[in-house]
Amino acid sequence: MRSIVLSVLCLVGFASTSVLAADAREPVNDRYCTTCHGTDGRGNEGVQAPRLAGMEDWYLRHQLENFRAGVRGTHPQDEEGLAMQPMAAKLSDASIDDIVGWVGSWTYVPAEPTLTGDVNAGQRLYQTCATCHGQNGEGNATFNAPALAGQNDWYLVTQLQNFMAGYRGAHPQDARGAQMRTMAKSLGNEQGIINVVAFINTLGRSK
Amino acid sequence: MSKPVTRREFLNLLGAAGGSAAALRVGVALGMLPVSTAAATPDLLDLGRANRRVVVLGGGMAGLAAAYELGKHGYDCTVLEASHRCGGRVFTVRHGDLIDEIGNRQYCDFDDEPHMYFNAGAARIPSTHRHLLHYTKELGVELEVFINENKMAWVQDDALMGGKPIRNIDYTTHTKGFMAEIMGKALSSAELDEPFTEQEAETLMGMIRAFGDLDMDDLYTGSFRAGYAKGGFLEHGVQKDIIAFRDLLKTNMGRNLLTANEGDTGPILMQPVGGMDMTIKAFEKRLEGKIRYHAMVRGVRVRNDGVDVEYEQDGVRHTINADYCFNSIPTHLMVGMEHNFPADYVRAMKYVRRGEAYKAAFQAKSRFWEDEDIYGGISWMNNPSQQIWYPTNGIHKPKGVILAAYDYGGGMFHTKMTHEERIEAHLKDGEKIHPNYRNLVEKPITIGWHRMNHMLGCSARWNRSRGGWTHDEEIMYETLQAPVNGRHYFIGDQISVHSAWQESAIMSAHWALADMDKRVRAELA
Repeated sequence: MRSIVLSVLCLVGFASTSVLAADAREPVNDRYCTTCHGTDGRGNEGVQAPRLAGMEDWYLRHQLENFRAGVRGTHPQDEEGLAMQPMAAKLSDASIDDIVGWVGSWTYVPAEPTLTGDVNAGQRLYQTCATCHGQNGEGNATFNAPALAGQNDWYLVTQLQNFMAGYRGAHPQDARGAQMRTMAKSLGNEQGIINVVAFINTLGRSK
Repeated sequence: MSKPVTRREFLNLLGAAGGSAAALRVGVALGMLPVSTAAATPDLLDLGRANRRVVVLGGGMAGLAAAYELGKHGYDCTVLEASHRCGGRVFTVRHGDLIDEIGNRQYCDFDDEPHMYFNAGAARIPSTHRHLLHYTKELGVELEVFINENKMAWVQDDALMGGKPIRNIDYTTHTKGFMAEIMGKALSSAELDEPFTEQEAETLMGMIRAFGDLDMDDLYTGSFRAGYAKGGFLEHGVQKDIIAFRDLLKTNMGRNLLTANEGDTGPILMQPVGGMDMTIKAFEKRLEGKIRYHAMVRGVRVRNDGVDVEYEQDGVRHTINADYCFNSIPTHLMVGMEHNFPADYVRAMKYVRRGEAYKAAFQAKSRFWEDEDIYGGISWMNNPSQQIWYPTNGIHKPKGVILAAYDYGGGMFHTKMTHEERIEAHLKDGEKIHPNYRNLVEKPITIGWHRMNHMLGCSARWNRSRGGWTHDEEIMYETLQAPVNGRHYFIGDQISVHSAWQESAIMSAHWALADMDKRVRAELA
């Protein structure tokens, strides 16, 4: 039922964001997501675009708004964020609504693990993460913490690196990012990041 | 301050670099006829009453050429094109066209006239690209010569002549003159002319004199080849002042200027009249009803006896069960789609990097370059915009479209800018050559190929080291070229060692067609 309602919402949103110019110009809309983020938003390692399917609607919306406002994706070292930001910068509120609904209609397919690390060491490190992101990496909206389980591991690694280096979360208006920066630093180093992500890979996700 | 090199040291350097001994080595490759005169299309078996269903993914040059050939031989062929248009990086932008760069969507606002177009991707057809020329001939696509090098165009480098632009012909004439003088001196030294017979040395010296237009004393003292300061028709021409060699060496652009007519741009270059996509349009006309637009592939599943392709069009999902699949989807996009490709295939798909080329164009309010004796060709700038191309087409018409920037190497410098920043950067760069530039041009378009919808990259880059292809890269290339289960073929210029050319795209398609044909012949035998 949920997917039917979403589909209907999507169609409405789709129509409202389409622009049909008077001189028969090619109509457009802002549904670009799957070009980069892959079939049904499964994520695409080939262009380093993360999984969107299964992402919480509140988190997706918040990130789109951050990108749009330049709170995320403007640091010169944030390669992937820099590719996303100009796309989001052009989005209207209606387009964001449409995209969030569209993404919510996609079938989630579990991400394939691509890295190996010390899972036991990662599990110890993860206890800090679990406070906000949940024991099973399921996420917790109350703490503005998205689900981690089931996300592409290479994306989690890049984002933890970015948080640690201040490429993400250092913007003065990014309070949630600042909080995450502090936590990311507690992982210590590159190996810590790999280990904790290797552990997250074991959490699995069925949604 | 760097240490000056004496004449003796310079001659020793020449000798150490191989000098004349290398020049005397037997040229084994000489005398061979070029292989490119071979058949320009694969000799496919006509299916007759047999049926074979083929799905082609991507309506670029490779996909359309494949579909066209298959259609001629009785195959039931469908082309799935994700975008609103065919052609891929063969993209001619005209009045009203959508440029679907993600984050920088534009509609082209050029005047609606046949010569007011911009070839935003492929822009030159060398006369040696026989496979492409074969199609332009067969499809009746009218060609015209494309002017690439123009000695009257400008060269600008802030480090050269105080940043003042100079004519290409001034730079190259003087540079060749001084180079010839040095070569002449080298030849006359005892150590170096030893391997030559007197006759050979004389012939060589004659060429050197002609190369640089040396005077009676084998010195370079200027040349009329750079044109005249004044006169030359009704009164004797006055030679222009020479630019000192040391001044010419302040820019390193000579390496581009002296090789403009070599390599890929060595043969005569051509373009279709009216835009590079005329070949694409001709293919589309002959494939009417077989191309599905806005058809985005979701998954490719290879079976033992065929390939299933799932795609989405206008929100509806469809599946095609085909016998064979020709796939020109960029490998970096295919990684993010559903597929059941083997692991070595996937490893290769992930390895190929996407090209970053960037182009921009302006509509010029008048053809101001023609007032500067420039008709077609390229001005070179030692700044990020790199080049200005003047149109070969539309000579003496009121307006024209010029290329304002072409970053063919690492185009991310401009790609990462906003549309407005890009335009300002090109105006700033271009006005170093054309003083009133920003008032002479309008209606800009900018295209970062790295962000173009459904492509996300310019030509594929296989090798990562300057030293050429590694063994592993060769293996991955062969892996992607080979079919999966004899049913799925990757095609496109990405499956070539010479990407970024339409010729490579066509040849990759022909390679795959020929391989499939062998299998079909075996099945039907």
